[in-house]
Parts: sequence; C-alpha cells; structure tokens
Amino acid sequence: MDDWTFRAEQVTKVFGELRANDGITLQVRPGEVYGLLGPNGAGKTTLVKQVIGLLKPSSGSLTLGTYDLVEDPDAARQLCSYLPQAQMPIDSFKPHQVISLTGMIRGGDPVTVRQRSEEMIEALDIGEWRDTMGARLSGGIKRLVGFAMVTVWPGRVVILDEPTNDVDPRRRRLLWEQIRRLGDGGASVFLVTHNVLEAEKSVDRLAIINDGRLIAEGTPSSLKSEDRGRMRLQLMMVPGHATPEMPAFVHHHTRVGNNVMAAISEADSAHAIGWAQELMRLDEAEEYALAATTLEDVYIRMTGHVSEDMGGEVQA
Amino acid sequence: MTAPQAVEATPFTVNAGVGHWLQSYMMMTRWELTSLRMLLPLIVAIQIVIGGGFALGVGLLSDQMPTRAALYLSTGVTVVTLITVGLVMGPQLVANHKTAGTYDFMWSLPVPRTTQAVAWVTVNSVIALPGMVAALLIANWRYDLPLQVTLSIVPAVLLTIVTATMVGYAFAHAIRKPMITQLITTLVIFVILGFAPINFPPENLPDWLATVNLGLPFYHMAVVMRGGLTEGLVTNVGISYLVLGAYTVASVVVAAWVVGRRD
Ligand SMILES: Nc1ncnc2c1ncn2[C@@H]1O[C@H](COP(=O)(O)OP(=O)(O)O)[C@@H](O)[C@H]1O
Ligand SMILES: [Mg+2]
Repeated sequence: MDDWTFRAEQVTKVFGELRANDGITLQVRPGEVYGLLGPNGAGKTTLVKQVIGLLKPSSGSLTLGTYDLVEDPDAARQLCSYLPQAQMPIDSFKPHQVISLTGMIRGGDPVTVRQRSEEMIEALDIGEWRDTMGARLSGGIKRLVGFAMVTVWPGRVVILDEPTNDVDPRRRRLLWEQIRRLGDGGASVFLVTHNVLEAEKSVDRLAIINDGRLIAEGTPSSLKSEDRGRMRLQLMMVPGHATPEMPAFVHHHTRVGNNVMAAISEADSAHAIGWAQELMRLDEAEEYALAATTLEDVYIRMTGHVSEDMGGEVQA
Repeated sequence: MTAPQAVEATPFTVNAGVGHWLQSYMMMTRWELTSLRMLLPLIVAIQIVIGGGFALGVGLLSDQMPTRAALYLSTGVTVVTLITVGLVMGPQLVANHKTAGTYDFMWSLPVPRTTQAVAWVTVNSVIALPGMVAALLIANWRYDLPLQVTLSIVPAVLLTIVTATMVGYAFAHAIRKPMITQLITTLVIFVILGFAPINFPPENLPDWLATVNLGLPFYHMAVVMRGGLTEGLVTNVGISYLVLGAYTVASVVVAAWVVGRRD
C-alpha cells in the first residue's frame, strides 16, 4: 500500500449533551507536521483519542490509507504512535530502558531500537538522566522521555498531545527538531498544542478548533494572509475598565481579560501610538505594545482566547 | 556528532497471528514485572504473611484442632490467598494506573488487548504463588497434616487464579472511580471469607446458603484445590471442575468484552 494519508471525515463525538467534536474533517499527508490548535476544552484530545481507539466516534470516519481506524482499533494502535497529554507510566523505569522497551513493543528489533534510543537521548540532551529512575525525573524530562518512547520506532501517524508541556525552552527547540525529523522519515505528525507561536514556526499546516468545530485550516502564512501589512496594538486596560471606543483606523479588536488587541494598518502606527498614549494619560490603560501580527492574532480573533504563552507575555 | 538519521515510519503491514501474540505477551509481562520491580518483594512478603498468618491465626480458635478441620483450614487458606491477589491486589494496581493517569498510554500500546490481560494473570500468579506455598507449608508444620499433593493441583491453581484475576480485572477496568473499585473488592473479599465454604465444609452453613454457594465459584475453587492437595477429603471433584471451568470461561469473556469496549 502506498497511500498513507490520514483522513478524518465529519468526526463527531458527543458526551451526553456536549458535542466535544462536531463534524471535523481534515487530512494529514505523509511527511507533514500538522498542528491542531485550540483553547482548553476545544476538543483536541477527544479527537486524537478517537484516532488511537481510546474513544469511539459518535459518527464520522477515521482512516489511514485503506485502513479503517474506527473499525480496526488493533490496526490503529500498530499504525499510530501516541504521546498522551496525561502522564507516562515510567516511575519504575530508567529512561534508556523504557525507551528501548517501548520501541520493541512497537515492533522494532532490539539492536536497532537500543541504538536509536541512545541517539534520541543525546539529541534531546537528556543523557544526564539516562539511568535515573523515572520517579525522580522532573515533569519536563519525563515529557521528553515520553516523546522518545513513542517515537523511537515511529508509526505511520505520530500523535503528540501537547508534547512541549513543562519542557524548558532550550530542549523545546531540540524537541521541535526531532518532530521535524519524524516528518522527514515519512510519518504524518499530528500535533496538538495551544502554543500558537511555536506552532507557527514549526508546522506545515494547521487547524484551529474551537468548541468542537474546525474553524480554520491552512498553512501558517495562508491563515495570516488577512492580516498581511497589519500590526497589533495591544492595550492593557486598567482592571475592570470598559473597552474604549475604537477609532476608525482599527480594523477589528478582541478583548481577553483586561487585554484589548486591535488590528491596525502599518501606515496607521503613529496614530495608534498617539491614541494609546492618550488612553494612558486618561488612566484607562496601564500599558501598550505595538508589534507585528503573528498567527496569535488570527487565533485570538477566531477563538476569543489568548494562548498560554501569550498570557505569560502580557503579564510580564 | 553527526545528526541521527531520520527514522523511517513503519509498519508496512499490520501484524496478527500467534507469533505476534506471544511476542506481545512476553513484552507486556516484562513491562508489568518491571513496573512492579520495587514493590514486588514487599507485595510477595505481605502475601506470605497473610497466608501464613491466616493459617496460624484461625488455629487459635481451638486448642486441639481436629485433623479434618485443620486440613480444611490449611487447604482453604491457599484458595484465600489466590482469591485475594486476583480480587483485591490486582484491582488496586489497576486503580493506581487510573489515579496516576497513565491508563491512556498503556491502552494505546500496539499489542492485542488480550496479551495485557494474560500478562496480568501472569504477574498475579507471581505474586500469589509464594504466599500460597508458604501458607501450605506453615499449616502443614503447625498441624502435621496428611497432605497428598498430586499433579491436578496445576489445573486447580490455574482455574482459580484465572477466574479471580479476570473478575477483578474486569471490575477494575469497568468502574471509572478507583475508590469505588477498592470498596467493592474489599466488600467482596469479606463476603467470601464469611459466607463461602472455603475454610470449612458446606455442612457448617445453613442449607439455603450452602445451596447458593453451589452456584457460586468459591466453593468449587476450594473443592478442586483440595482435590489436588489431599486424598479423599472431597468428592465429586469433576462437577466442581465443570462449574469452575464455566466461571473461568465466563470471566475471560467478560474481561475481554470490558477491555475491548470504547466509550
Ligand atoms: N470522557 C469524557 N466525558 C465527558 N466529557 C468529556 C470527556 N472527555 C472530554 N470531555 C469534555 O469534552 C470537551 C473537550 O475536551 P478535550 O478534548 O479534553 O479538550 P482539549 O484537549 O482541547 O483541551 C471538554 O469540555 C471536556 O470536559
Ligand atoms: Mg487536551
């Protein structure tokens, strides 16, 4: 078989009254790193759990080439590697052991798996903890070990649910390099995240989901096309203060908490700064910032949420 | 250092068949035993103390235990140790997985689900057998019993342990809240100890309760174990094998159904 395209068609998952996934259709081609973005509770984990057979869709289909992943969960588990959002059970293992053992469970031969396991330990720079019992590892290192476990012998589809959680910035970059490499090896990487800025740099295509629905899909630059030539004016309002009336040069704006994000044309930058300073003088705003638009702006506009990293940036 | 090669995505085909099953079974057994490596000596020691302690403790009830009663007791204790591991220890270990949130990963591994269940039986046996043997040896030493161990102890132990483990496994997997699992298994074990003729003959029970027990697996577990450990203490062992065998099949079917279920 040479078609290894992953397809989700009209996937709907209902929990009681809640439509956690609502008619989601998307495709991931071999070699592609596909990001799945959305705020907490959007339904990302629910979608990937159906791919690996931990949940069953209420309706719709999930296929990999000619394999029906819903009908044949045994095949789904062999064809897809899965790093869950939840903890990995590695407390009584040493990293190099558990990476090799999982690789062998995934069908790798012992010699190659051991060799690759050492390579991954080095590539992720976790050699210091190669022989440390899992129970004594920090959350970030555990996450990296988990990543190495599920990718040391990767399946056709590699599902990573929030792989960078708790990982320090330097090793995050190493992790992203390894994620790219999975694509180079021909796997379809299906990557769940709510870190929009990281995803923007590293994914080939992405989907934004909100309230169970896929609301946008494309390459990072195609999603940003509407904001081309625009800047983001970010106003931090005095807590509780009402959103000020928008001047005519603001294309659109979003408020999240005390933050107001306004999209403006580059040509209007000077006007925007003047307006922001006036708001500060009137004690309506505490601070402002003007920056190039990123995927984050698209994301905020579409979901009404700021991503986690952005939230940190705003408070700083 | 040269960067590692891009790792090629596999597989090209989906595995099935006996070879794949056996391979997966061995891997999962290795996984479970390694996971328990730190706890294993403690768990086994506790099982030995429970088994031995029970054998000695009940003996305190009377100064001069008649041989027949002692024989009932010490063979019954072996059944109790096997059942406690399957119905109490096993579910608690599964509940630990659930509490730790590590369940999703274990359930996503590319092995047949049945291999995970059978690996579980294997691990439970490793835990239970030392306690069972210890209970028997201690009782034998304390009461000087006319034990006659025959080969039929092997199927007796297997059926008992598989049934108890699979019922516990199905419980633990079917019930979402680990707390509830533990309450239920604790309740089950007390009911079994008090109201099933394991450590004493069924004649000691009121007729109706003895009749009820004919339809439950516990009495039959005790009968087949006694068949393998003594000469002439029990009769109609064949019927007990049939009833227990049916329970074993049913417990395996239910466990397979539970683990194959998707929400
Ligand atoms: N097993 C379940 N039963 C009921 N509701 C669930 C279950 N799993 C998830 N949900 C709900 O479905 C929604 C989507 O959850 P999830 O897929 O985990 O979101 P995300 O991964 O995008 O943060 C949430 O509202 C969550 O509470
Ligand atoms: Mg999630």
